[in-house]
Amino acid sequence: MSTLLNIFGRTPRARRKAFWGLALIAPNTIGLLVFFGIPVLVAFGLSFFEWNGIRAPEFTGLDNFTRIFRDPLFGRALANTLTLALLVVPLNMALALGAAVLLNQRLPLRNLFRTIYFLPVVTSTVAASVVWIWIFQPRLGLIGIVPGLGTLQWLTRPELVLIPIAAVTIWQRVGFDMILFLAGLQNVPRALHEAAVIDGANSRQRFFNITLPMLSPTTFLILTLNFISVFQIFDQVYIMTQRTTPGGVSGSATTLTFLLYQTGFTRSEFGYASAIALALFVIVLSITVIQLRLQRRWVFYESEAG
Amino acid sequence: MRIKSLVLASAFAMALGTVGIAAAQDTPPAITPVACEEPGELTMWVWDENWATIIGEAINEWTTDYCPGATVDLQVQPWANYWELLRTNVAGGDMPDVFNMSQTNVGFYQENEALLDLQPYLDAAGIDTAVWGSGMIDPYRSGEEGDLYALPVNWDTIAVYYNKDLFDAAGLEYPTAEWTWDDFAADAEALTDADAGVYGAAVYSEYQAGWPNWVAATGVEPVIASDHTTCTLTDEGSLEGLNFLKGLLDAGYMPTISDLGGSSADDAFNAWLAGRVAMVAGGSWKLPTALESADFNWEVVQLPRNPETGRSRSIVHSVGYVGAASTDTPDLAANLIIFLGSDAGQRYFAEAGGVAPAAPSQQQTWIDAFGTDEVNIQTFVDALQDSQGVTVFDEVWNIGNTELPVNIFDLGMSVEEATALGCEAVDTAVAGM
Repeated sequence: MSTLLNIFGRTPRARRKAFWGLALIAPNTIGLLVFFGIPVLVAFGLSFFEWNGIRAPEFTGLDNFTRIFRDPLFGRALANTLTLALLVVPLNMALALGAAVLLNQRLPLRNLFRTIYFLPVVTSTVAASVVWIWIFQPRLGLIGIVPGLGTLQWLTRPELVLIPIAAVTIWQRVGFDMILFLAGLQNVPRALHEAAVIDGANSRQRFFNITLPMLSPTTFLILTLNFISVFQIFDQVYIMTQRTTPGGVSGSATTLTFLLYQTGFTRSEFGYASAIALALFVIVLSITVIQLRLQRRWVFYESEAG
Repeated sequence: MRIKSLVLASAFAMALGTVGIAAAQDTPPAITPVACEEPGELTMWVWDENWATIIGEAINEWTTDYCPGATVDLQVQPWANYWELLRTNVAGGDMPDVFNMSQTNVGFYQENEALLDLQPYLDAAGIDTAVWGSGMIDPYRSGEEGDLYALPVNWDTIAVYYNKDLFDAAGLEYPTAEWTWDDFAADAEALTDADAGVYGAAVYSEYQAGWPNWVAATGVEPVIASDHTTCTLTDEGSLEGLNFLKGLLDAGYMPTISDLGGSSADDAFNAWLAGRVAMVAGGSWKLPTALESADFNWEVVQLPRNPETGRSRSIVHSVGYVGAASTDTPDLAANLIIFLGSDAGQRYFAEAGGVAPAAPSQQQTWIDAFGTDEVNIQTFVDALQDSQGVTVFDEVWNIGNTELPVNIFDLGMSVEEATALGCEAVDTAVAGM
């Protein structure tokens, strides 16, 4: 007993301190273990089994993982997810940066506009998706005010369906990234801009040569977060395709997370669903690692500057 | 295992033939409940708030008169995530003792032996399962003897709801139960008024209320045969039914799915309620909504007859009460199920005037409960006479329910191409089982 206690410190005082420290982090740690750590371990274990929820799980080794490479649905879901990333990430970041630069100026009602841009972030995705279904409704939808766009079957055509899903994703995400960019913009030292003005640089030159490089750590953070969140897109797909055909006609709107859900909860293939979850984890991790490698080439940290 | 039992069950179904409910008999057969042996506690799931109220009243009678001392924890798990929740609870080893089941979902639970065999209890209570129409209970049979695993709560059939005001305005005669597809097409054309944004008909949406009824009228089992393996989408009858409907769509007499705002039968029905569609195929479960919300004169008529076969065939579906194989108190669970399926338990559904009760003795009570002379509710009972039981399940249901109709009735794919794709998907789904 005393040896066990000793790991918390040698003196009673140190032990008391350690005890309180542990007690205070316990609620979070326990929550993390119960709702995250243990499920992750269970999913990892399950991915080596075939289990439909009723019968005893059957060990199938790596079958679930080799199936991923043969499964056309997985290929389709991966392609859809990457397409969504290409649609969402660049446009979302450009819009967020644009809004942040605008709202960083001394505008009347600046805080009101900042709030308005942020509102979608705190709106439920489900509610937002329902409204966006109406916007893209082919006959009566608001999209019809743009000539030619009103007659397209946005939510059923396999080649179009990802666009409304990307739209609602961007609409919901842009406010959050704008706030991050705003914080970044306010950290750009004013002295740099003043010095540049004295040197005769115009506002365009200052934006590209001072603001953007100084923002690069923020940009990197947002880029990483964006990729991770695109790989988790689920609610939009679930809601927006539910009234026509879940996951889109021939799986045209099925993302990796939606496939995971369908595999587990509608097909009752919990083992294969766990394998898909692991694959998703590996994909997101790889993309993040690649970004971390690449950042050395373009991200500028002030502290590193000579 | 699954295939074998299904083949046997369907052989059993064929032996019974396509007999509807015993509506034609003078005195409908009675289903009498029995007292329980030993009271206890049960958990029960239903997916509908209104049903929970009705079933709750029935349970009160059971705990008062048939099983004093028993308690039932009745829980509503909304339809939207009922099946996900059920599968999760099954996986967690925490199934309710008694719950509602649909014919399209029962296969998974039967295949995995998760349901309580009710046949011994029915035999002990002296209940002959022939009191129910075959389409209502055959999908709930399993095993070599065709044992029954669910007692039907209700049945629903499909008929055409039509807007009498629009018929009057177009100077058309009201349809009768003898009308044919040709009459239907002629009416749809005459009722269409493109300038006013009114379509003649919307009758293809979803599996149960939609296009499969038209395929069934040709004599083909829609989507998949009752052996649960043979895709029938490319059969001649399927092509005939679908091409007939696609013809009406192409001619502009029916709206597309995008026009309707969604692929669900509710979307089509709402368009009918809004006066944008003159004729809609709707289930008997839509009667309360129509009586409450339609602000025009309307009536129901049986689906039109296929000109060659002379048949009007409605899909019939019954929700069932099932027990969990894993329940600690199988005798008690079966006793409650038998009570809920009996005349005494079904009376509550009949009097509520919502969905049609499965017990034959309660049909007239149900019709009278609507308290209307305007609408011929008997139409739905008549539709049982020549009805088509549900043969689809799980993903195969989904293919016929949304995937195929979206391809044909929204994206303009040809019937031949869409059905070929459909059969590929069905074959993949069947192979993956």
